[in-house]
Formats: sequence, structure tokens, C-alpha cells
Amino acid sequence: MNCGDCINQLDAYVDRELSDAELATVREHLDSCPPCEDTFQLRSDVKRLVRTCCGQEAAPSELRQKLREILF
Amino acid sequence: MTTLEAVTERPAAASNFSEEAIGYLDTLYRGALRLTRDAVKAEDLVQDTYVRALRYQHSYQPGTNMKAWLFAIMRNLFWDRFKGGRPENISLDGDGEFALYDTLKDDTARPESDVLDKLAAGEVVNAVERLPELHREVVLLVDVEGFSYKDAAEVLGVPIGTVMSRLHRARQQLQKSLYDYAQESGIVHGRDS
Repeated sequence: MNCGDCINQLDAYVDRELSDAELATVREHLDSCPPCEDTFQLRSDVKRLVRTCCGQEAAPSELRQKLREILF
Repeated sequence: MTTLEAVTERPAAASNFSEEAIGYLDTLYRGALRLTRDAVKAEDLVQDTYVRALRYQHSYQPGTNMKAWLFAIMRNLFWDRFKGGRPENISLDGDGEFALYDTLKDDTARPESDVLDKLAAGEVVNAVERLPELHREVVLLVDVEGFSYKDAAEVLGVPIGTVMSRLHRARQQLQKSLYDYAQESGIVHGRDS
């Protein structure tokens, strides 16, 4: 695998969308290529940051109460 | 049999449906906040999503992905109500299948990993909310909610390749926004300085 092939698969790698065989091929390249490993690390960190920062708020209790009245 | 009769005759099933559905309230509310960027509109959107879900609960198959089903309802309502219709025919610049493969030039402006941890959470949320809706919704589904590409594609009504290309574009844009912010706030200095 060359760097271009690796970079093209990085999103799917970060998102755990690759087969075991594809995953192993990318992992092998990353282990031997610091620039691609850096890119992987960055993408992985951005994904983690987005999930953490956008996954915090809870629905207002008034909304929950209103929905309970509608649903039950 | 009408939906109303079905509910009356199967109260336990209806109650199970409602219990499961309300379990996704927080996640739907967060999604609505990101989509509408407005707390009042987000509440209205979520409430209307549940009303519609209740009305069409007969079309939900127990045991399938209710979270995805609810997100699809909410997403369609969002586009119908706030954007004047669903975006099947909208195309973003470079939103084709091959957009995924021009990735080698995407790392010209990027923050280092350790810089990311210094960014304020609010600025990350702002960066997500500044994405175009078609990019924002795929980030919400895949990055925030952990949907698979396949489930995200079903929610959005697009091929998996489109999910991938939009996601890639969205991440490029996010990365650039975060880098720009890190520069503006002095967390990182520009490469020319």
C-alpha cells in the first residue's frame, strides 16, 4: 500500500468501516509511515473532539414532560 | 385497522414503542440543536418529530433501528420546514463519488493533535454549525451519533459513496475551521510567521 491509497482509506479506517483484511493493510502501512500515522491521529482526534463537544446537551425537562404527555 | 385502533388494542406494544422512542430524546434534541442552531426551533422540531413518529408508528418495525428511523423523520421535517424542501436535487461543489479521492491535498492547513485539546468546546460546536447543512447532517450522524455509513445513507436517502464524500469534505472543512480558530486565538502560529 502506498501513501495515497492509505490516505484514501483513512476515513473508513477511523470510522471502523473496513474489513479485517483492509484494516490490517492500513494498519501495517501506518506502522511504517509516520506522516500517514500523523494524519490518521489528527483525523481520529477531530472525530473524538466533535463527538465529545457535540454530544453533551440534554433536552430541557419541560420538553421531556410535554412529550411524555403526548406519548403516553 | 386504523392506527388508533391498533394502539387501543395493543396498549403494551404502544407503550413499548413510546418508552423506546423517548429514550432517544436527548440525542434527537442535540441533533435538532445542531441542525436549527436555535433552542426554540430545536424544541419545536423534536416535538413535531415525536408527534409524527407516533402517528406513523405502524410503519416502524420493532427490532429495527429506531434511532435511525427517528432521525430520518426529524431530518425530513427539518428540510421541509426550514429549507423549503428535501435536498435530493441539491448538489454541493465536488460532492461526487470521486471527491473522495482527491485527498492528498487536504492537509495544507491543519492543527496539530495536541492543539486540538486546547480548543474550547464551544468553538468546536460553532465549527460544526458553520458547515453547510448537507455536510453538517452527515457529521452529526456518523461522528456524533456513531451511525454506520449504511445507516447514515438510509437516513439521508443517498448512496453510501455520497455519505463518504460528504463526510470527507465536512472533515476537511472542520479541520480548516479549527486550524483558523487556533491561529486567531494564538494557540498556534501561522506557518508563515
